[in-house]
Amino acid sequence: MSHGGGGHATEIYPENQVFAVGVVLSLIGIYAAHFLSDYGLSMLIGGLLVSSACVAGANTVRKVAAYGLGTGVPSIGMISLGMGTLAAVAGVLIPKAFGIPYLVAPILTLIIALVVGFIVGNLTVKPVGMKIPIMVRSMTYLSVAGALALLGFTTAYVGSLEPTTFVKGALESGVMALAFIAAGMAILHPFNACLGPNESHKRTLTLAIACGLISWFVFSVVKLDIVSIVVSIILWAIVYVKFVKMSLNDACAVLHVPEIPKKEE
Amino acid sequence: MDVSLLISLAEITIAGAIINASVHFVPVGGAPAAMATSTGVGTGTTQLAAGAGFTGLMAAAAMASKVGIGGLGFLLILLSGAVGSMIMLGVTMLIGQLIYVFGVGVVPAADKCEIDPITKDPQKPYVTPGTTGHGIPTVCFISGLIGAALGGLGGALAYIALMNLGFTPAVAGMLAVGFFFINAVLASYNIGGTIEGFHDPKFKKMPNGVIASLVASLICGIVAVAMVL
Repeated sequence: MSHGGGGHATEIYPENQVFAVGVVLSLIGIYAAHFLSDYGLSMLIGGLLVSSACVAGANTVRKVAAYGLGTGVPSIGMISLGMGTLAAVAGVLIPKAFGIPYLVAPILTLIIALVVGFIVGNLTVKPVGMKIPIMVRSMTYLSVAGALALLGFTTAYVGSLEPTTFVKGALESGVMALAFIAAGMAILHPFNACLGPNESHKRTLTLAIACGLISWFVFSVVKLDIVSIVVSIILWAIVYVKFVKMSLNDACAVLHVPEIPKKEE
Repeated sequence: MDVSLLISLAEITIAGAIINASVHFVPVGGAPAAMATSTGVGTGTTQLAAGAGFTGLMAAAAMASKVGIGGLGFLLILLSGAVGSMIMLGVTMLIGQLIYVFGVGVVPAADKCEIDPITKDPQKPYVTPGTTGHGIPTVCFISGLIGAALGGLGGALAYIALMNLGFTPAVAGMLAVGFFFINAVLASYNIGGTIEGFHDPKFKKMPNGVIASLVASLICGIVAVAMVL
């Protein structure tokens, strides 16, 4: 399941740095999605910025799963989104229950995700007995990344953080379920696909960006936002082509299947 | 604080513990089982538990929309969830078994017990040296069905509790999915990869997982209750 279970995968950018950038960008993205919806830009700007949360999550998955989870990489991606769902829905609905302005939703989501992630992370160490030193930190990070990705993509789709509109647009319509699995795949897939003895941070990150962009594309299609569809698919294609070229360069040998020889006439 | 809120909180906590316990019954083989060199279904704990749990949740939600959540409906929803999960996991194990026996050509045999506790058939002679069992023997199948029933029950209980809190079916369903994943993954970390069923020595680790889930579910429950205060 891991490359040797040794951990300490070499990295070009420190994990905290990638995570901080991802969180800040996605928070800006969520607010942008809310405020720019009148101009029809919530998916274009919000979606693009929120895909950085997926990249931050994927980077953390890479770091923690390199130690060898024993249950496969997808498990940690799924628990990340499980905690994220709870935090995202709570972040939107709690302000309504307590009568505080609904604009605190993203910050509240961040705080709830931090708390839930920290507690669940500690539970995986104490009674359960996972022997990964960075488990608590990683679970906290992943919970935040999952929650922000979920809240971000759904806000970009709905275009509002107002609880009644949000519940109607994101939850009753089932877009939240799509966000659950699309963001989940974007977080767990990059390392799951790239792991191995020759895994490199640059390649995994490139795939993570491609995965984030294609999640954005999926939501653009759901929203039928033509500009976003075109921009996201072009950006995705650029990054993905780069990833494929990088993989071919890093490979030991690339053998193309030869064309079937034409029959001698 | 309202008493009904406390009841819902207790229901969510218990549901989490039941879901965690249920995962320990499911015969999960992981990657080796995909090559028929280990007992169980050839996929990870999370995927298998989630599959069974979601089917249970669907069955419970379908029943809830028909009979409501009060009185006898409560019991019917729980049963519907349990049966839904059992069907899903039963079919998965049966089709997997057909592939293992007629496709791969192995004899179903459990590695963790000398004789099958249910059929009393000897197991050890049929385990190929260098492997840890094959396919899904009777004891694992029965264990899996018990696990699926518990999982469906837990999922349905969480769904009922969330409905009782006053969420719409969509919100309750989505929260139940997230909740189910948290508990299923905690259980799968407790198992640490593969398990054969209730006869596996790893099954004794279950109390740790259940305690972890009780605490995690309590936190989730508090957050859920805070949403409707």
